[in-house]
Amino acid sequence: MVIKSRELSNVVIFDIQGEIRRTDTVQETLHGLVEAQLDRGRRNLLLDFGGVEFIDSFGVGQILASYISTQHLGGKLKLCRISDKLLLIFKITMLDKVLDIHADCDHALESFGRT
Amino acid sequence: MADGFLERTLKRLGDVRGHEARAALALSAFFFLITATFYIIKPVKESFLIGSKPGWWPYADLATALLIGLVVAVNARLLDRLPRRTYLTASLLFFVSGLLVFWLIFDVHQKTLSSTPVADTSGVIFLLWAQTIIWNHFPVFVIAFCFWADIFIAMSVTQFWIAVNDVFGPHEAKRLIGLFVTGGLFGGIAGAAAAALMTVVRLVEPEDLLLVCPILLVLAIAAVNGVYAEKRRTDVVAGDERLAVPSKVGAWESFRAVRSDRYLRLLAAMVASAIVAGSLINYQFKWVVGNIYPTVQARTSFIALFFLVILAVSAAFHLLTTGRVLKSYGIRWAIAAAPAFLLAASAAVFVIPLGLMLAWAWVVRGGDKMFDNTLSQSVRELLYIPVSADVKYRAKIFIDVFVNKFATGTAAVLWIVLNAARNFEYRTDPLIIIRETGLAALAFLVLWLALTRFVYREYPAVLKKDLGRIWQEGRTVIDAHLDEKLVREIFDAVQSRERSTTLYYMNLFNLVRSKNLTPELQELLGIKRNELKARAMDALFDVGAAGGLYPGLEEAITDAEFQKEIDLIYLLPTYQKIMDENLGKIIGSPSEVERIEAANSICRMAPSPPTMDALARLLQDRSVEVVLYALNGASVHRWPEHVPVILRHLGNPMTVAEAQTALAAYGPEIVGRIAPHLRSADEPAEVRRAIPEVLARIGTQKAADILVAELARRRDDMEQALIDALYKVRAERPRVRFRERDLRPELRFLIRKACDVVLGPPGPPEEAGAALVIRLRRVFDLLTLLYLREDIVNDYQHILQGTSKSVDYALEHLDNLLDREDKELLFPLIEDLPDGERVVRLKKALRLK
Repeated sequence: MVIKSRELSNVVIFDIQGEIRRTDTVQETLHGLVEAQLDRGRRNLLLDFGGVEFIDSFGVGQILASYISTQHLGGKLKLCRISDKLLLIFKITMLDKVLDIHADCDHALESFGRT
Repeated sequence: MADGFLERTLKRLGDVRGHEARAALALSAFFFLITATFYIIKPVKESFLIGSKPGWWPYADLATALLIGLVVAVNARLLDRLPRRTYLTASLLFFVSGLLVFWLIFDVHQKTLSSTPVADTSGVIFLLWAQTIIWNHFPVFVIAFCFWADIFIAMSVTQFWIAVNDVFGPHEAKRLIGLFVTGGLFGGIAGAAAAALMTVVRLVEPEDLLLVCPILLVLAIAAVNGVYAEKRRTDVVAGDERLAVPSKVGAWESFRAVRSDRYLRLLAAMVASAIVAGSLINYQFKWVVGNIYPTVQARTSFIALFFLVILAVSAAFHLLTTGRVLKSYGIRWAIAAAPAFLLAASAAVFVIPLGLMLAWAWVVRGGDKMFDNTLSQSVRELLYIPVSADVKYRAKIFIDVFVNKFATGTAAVLWIVLNAARNFEYRTDPLIIIRETGLAALAFLVLWLALTRFVYREYPAVLKKDLGRIWQEGRTVIDAHLDEKLVREIFDAVQSRERSTTLYYMNLFNLVRSKNLTPELQELLGIKRNELKARAMDALFDVGAAGGLYPGLEEAITDAEFQKEIDLIYLLPTYQKIMDENLGKIIGSPSEVERIEAANSICRMAPSPPTMDALARLLQDRSVEVVLYALNGASVHRWPEHVPVILRHLGNPMTVAEAQTALAAYGPEIVGRIAPHLRSADEPAEVRRAIPEVLARIGTQKAADILVAELARRRDDMEQALIDALYKVRAERPRVRFRERDLRPELRFLIRKACDVVLGPPGPPEEAGAALVIRLRRVFDLLTLLYLREDIVNDYQHILQGTSKSVDYALEHLDNLLDREDKELLFPLIEDLPDGERVVRLKKALRLK
């Protein structure tokens, strides 16, 4: 798993490549990276899942922990470009009821301005 | 005038912030001008009334009492229909025109006293019949003037406070109220002094004083227009909608607004009891003065001197104490100061000899007036501020006008009853009459004091009404919508399908056994076949044309009989014996999948020593995947010997969550075992930081006490984890108690650390700002342990992301909630202040140079 971050229109975008799995985690976890951005005062975070094929329970835990940390400080965490396969599991497990998921990143970025 | 100079000047009189300076000055000027006007009108009014026959005197009060309702109804309608600025301007112009009309009437009357009734120069304006009417019915005009003057003071003061409510929030108003009252007091002194000076040196005739007033009221119109012009400007800048248009109001609606709200009912009762007590004290005062100064001239001189001294003392008292009392002690104690003082002073009447009665009257009546002019007035107005805008206008009019007059009438009736009950023939001793009246006054003072407690108790609740949750906490949202553990198991089950068929079915079996799966989940896992699965699932998970690995097995797993059979196998002694003998070999397999399957299977086996030994080995497996399944097994069997190994997994980010779950599964008995690891210098920092979460999940009183004790060790690297854990305990275990004596020092320590971020920023401003937010978050998290969690979370959210009005409400709520020393340190951090001002205030609070 490779995670790169960039900033656009007051939103920190995490471009995630590969699979968010326990075994693929190198040094910094997704939650660790999110917390680092929160510590820098960033409150609008977008996880771009365009390059993610699958995640395991560790990945789910990382996303939910990131969501809790962001909410705790009054920030917003959104997801975009989730694969159909993942989206279906997200829907069935009702993760889509909790997480703000967008089909594409432009819509997600726009929605930060609206809310 | 430059804003900086204006701000510096106003700061000497009150806690005025830069953006408030213009509006605060304009409102103070407005209050100054209307009170100066009133104190010029007052001697004219009294002078003309006393000049009438004494039989006419009561009709002035009666007219006010009877007609005030009509005036309020008209006023309420105007308030409802007109824009606020137009309404205030129009009503002041109405009073200006009234002054001119009454001046003309009095002028005609006075001139005709010294000339013929028809040859006066003013007669060019009036028709002959009008002069005759004034001459023949002059007392009616005097009573009309008294009524008009009463209406003027009642309405103009109410309008002033309406303007304050429009422009400022409760916390702002509390800071600025000292400045406003100063304006009012100096206006009173200036008006009274001007009236006295002009009449003593006979610069003008008494009625000519009325011509000075229109000039002051025109200036007041300019001031109030300035206030609303400034408000419009700041609202545009802040994007804030403070000036809500009130809904329709009328006399009946005003009454209903008070009747339907417990807080307003209590407020009305408190105001009424204060006025009844004050009126009775006034009667006592009159009795004392009447007995000591028998002549009119001596009495008038004394009363004039009395009011001059009281106004001067009020101004001094106000400048020295009102702001400080409100800032340091808040409404809680300020509200009780007047009744407590008057109660003590009134009780003294029973031990004071007649010779000292005048001094006593000075103290008690002077104290009543002084508090009324200063602290009590400020507090009364502050108590209205948290009431929602539309209710406030109705309630304020009702309480300030109707309740006020009703209470004055009640006191008058009480006084008449007390006099009627006395035997005047035998009870001529003034001391007895004063003391008997004192008993009634004491009863109302006690009631007043008691009601202050009830009102204060309701005050925070009223403040909180508008402080709803801005956003739901992440954990709350997750818990409301999904079962996180189940979601994670599902993801693992789906993933395991790629790894091993057996493992997949093991996971499937565990899922089915432990959870009541929804039809959608069963579809996802291939347990139930139908059209949906054929269309979607197979394609998604590459199940293949057959639709399953072992067609029919998924359905069998859900079958109760099948599950029972599996359970029976695990319970078979022979199965256990064989497993005890072979488990060691199985877990030694080079195949990771086989070791995972073994770890998974151990969850269901009986906890024999060989099985637990095998589990211990699996917990130390080189594969993270194996360890995760083993941790799950450990959480099922809760074998004490596994604890040290599980603790080690707390240090690995890939296993920490499962290790925490496993340890938490041990329950309260493990608390004592893991506590030493929390503070052990030998443990890696990651392990120590993961332990508070375990204690939080166990959530017993002992676990909470350990967390608090560890927090008291003040280790930087543990702070966040400990506070997160304590916050979780408070959120999920409301029965757990936290001792204030343990937490207060830690709270103060955290606030001081937040102060350090401001006083010695760790980096550039952006970085320091972010660090301060994180520090404040910890402070507020800890505050949830000492105060009602919901309130603190709401206050925090509004301070962080509320509108300027809701931020002010949150600050006011905290101001009434927090300890004084905490407030002194915390408020400069959370208030909207320029950086320089924030540093100055923090240094002052920290007693730094």
